[in-house]
Amino acid sequence: MTKQTQKIISRILFYAVLLIVAIYLLFPFYWALNSSFKTENQLQMTPATFVPRDPTTNEVAFSLNNYKGVFQNKDFGRGLINSTIVAVSTTVLSLVVGAFAAFALGKLRFRGRTPSLYLILSMTMFPQVAVLTGLYAVIRQLELPAIPSMILSYMLFTLPFTTWVMTSFFKELPSELMQSAQVDGATPFQTFYKILLPLTLPALVTTGLLAFISAWNEYLFALTFTTIESSARTVPVVMALFTGQISRQEPFGEIMAAAILVTIPLLILVLVFQQKIVEGLTAGAVKG
Amino acid sequence: MSATAAQKPKKPESSLAKRESRLAYYLLTPTLLVLFLLAFYPLGTVFYNSMTNRVFASTQEVEFVGFENFRNLLSVTARQLEPEVDDAGNTVMDPDTGDVQYQPAVRVLPREPRRYRELGQFSLFGNRYVLGATDPEFILSIGDSLRFTFISVVIETILGLGIAMVVNSKFRGRGMMRVFMLVPWVIPTAVSSRMWEWMFSSSRVGLINVVFQKLSLGNGQIPFLASETWQVPAMIIIDVWKTTPFMALLLLAGLQIISKDLYEAADVDGASKLRQFWSITLPLLRPTIAVALVFRTLDAVRVFDLFQIVLAQKRYSMASYAYYELINGQRMGYSSAASVIIFVVITVFAIGYIRLLGVDSD
Repeated sequence: MTKQTQKIISRILFYAVLLIVAIYLLFPFYWALNSSFKTENQLQMTPATFVPRDPTTNEVAFSLNNYKGVFQNKDFGRGLINSTIVAVSTTVLSLVVGAFAAFALGKLRFRGRTPSLYLILSMTMFPQVAVLTGLYAVIRQLELPAIPSMILSYMLFTLPFTTWVMTSFFKELPSELMQSAQVDGATPFQTFYKILLPLTLPALVTTGLLAFISAWNEYLFALTFTTIESSARTVPVVMALFTGQISRQEPFGEIMAAAILVTIPLLILVLVFQQKIVEGLTAGAVKG
Repeated sequence: MSATAAQKPKKPESSLAKRESRLAYYLLTPTLLVLFLLAFYPLGTVFYNSMTNRVFASTQEVEFVGFENFRNLLSVTARQLEPEVDDAGNTVMDPDTGDVQYQPAVRVLPREPRRYRELGQFSLFGNRYVLGATDPEFILSIGDSLRFTFISVVIETILGLGIAMVVNSKFRGRGMMRVFMLVPWVIPTAVSSRMWEWMFSSSRVGLINVVFQKLSLGNGQIPFLASETWQVPAMIIIDVWKTTPFMALLLLAGLQIISKDLYEAADVDGASKLRQFWSITLPLLRPTIAVALVFRTLDAVRVFDLFQIVLAQKRYSMASYAYYELINGQRMGYSSAASVIIFVVITVFAIGYIRLLGVDSD
């Protein structure tokens, strides 16, 4: 076998694996998309069809009723806005606050470094159900409206996450970077935001993205904190409370339509940020 | 810990070191403040309640019960079962199978001070034993949660690393692939769980049964979510799909901060790609893998929404059991004790990873 054919075969194998992975990741999404265009009757067809088909004539038949139902639901639009506010604030706060802590934990020497790391992690080791009632009492004591309460309570799980992840990334950067900056007369803080932050930008974006998505998808805290203030409901809560415009039973098609509508803006966001990651990398090549 | 402790006594702190540690405390303060403000009271009450008989949403007086809740949750015993003997002194045989019949488990399991219920039976060296537990459902939920955690985290790590390495290499359509990769993670769990529940339907309304039947597996009527053998595997399949992107993205970030120079140098030295993976990628990725494992395991051990939405009370995870004890049973003390056990299990895992992968060593 020549080198040329070997190369071609490995290329083909590579794309085959890629295809399988893509199908695995995307198929349920495709199935949601498919279901979102089906009417209640089409959803009950056996065997389930891979495109929406008319139950009697078996011809392809898309229905937009589910999407109409979602758009008629006023709570949905407001939910989108609420979710955006909550998730963006949570992410920015946990990134900024967490980056400070991570810098200290990853690159500075002080007494109590390891205990602090464990302490921060231990705050997030309980199931949400367990802390819910206590957290509710704290939030009531602080007399906060629903949106800030959600932002604050989400930090209970996003902040330890961002802190830990960034600590490990900061630690991986060579210490000589900091030492040489110090020799040049930079304060530790200058070293932090002029050297470490730019170098770990891709990691920061990734951490932020993961924190954003967890905050965006959170359900239990949101449900609890918005019981009184229903105008502050976020998308997952609104979707869980869908009663269905057409049928009395659970509006599965509508839930799927809403899921599609919520997912697409997030994917666009990811696309934009992913390009940023790649650019950030080439702009500040790391010299180890 | 070792680094700071070892350096301390050697010589008096220079002003530079003093400034450095002061800065560190300033930088840590906001994080610790936020977490204390939020977590101190709720976590304190969980620990306190776990030692009481507190009832949720009730004014009933609360009594301190010590470790009683834990004993009721965790007590397990094994007793030997004697073969059933009839009046004439002969061993009773099952008329259909011809096997020896044993006495009912209820007769040997202790009733005082705690009542044990049957968890399962097993044979060992020709004897028959019964396992009893004071709360068989919780014991089963521990087993299920651990099995779920172990299998799903292992698959997610391997798959996540594979995907991360693929999208880290240069190829046409890489940007698109990076977006696709996140799709499962982006869909809210509350929705994706419902979607999977639908796909796992017990008739051919559901995709999985359609596909299984096309592949001549089963009759298209497999009750995935009702059958004991399929429940936990179904949860694992959903979780792997849902959270592999989390792993992949985190590991991708770790891969990206590995200096490209290292690989160039290895290429010059003629090291094979496999060799490069073992001696450059894996060692340098270790801290990231450790952190990813800690957070993924943490979420898997306390998995709640997936079990609650898809299986409800058909089968429990530890956290969904704690939830139903609280919401349906109103037993706040008991539920808190279950949460403390989850906390302990997570701690064991976390310390294990940190020791094994050396997260905090410099």
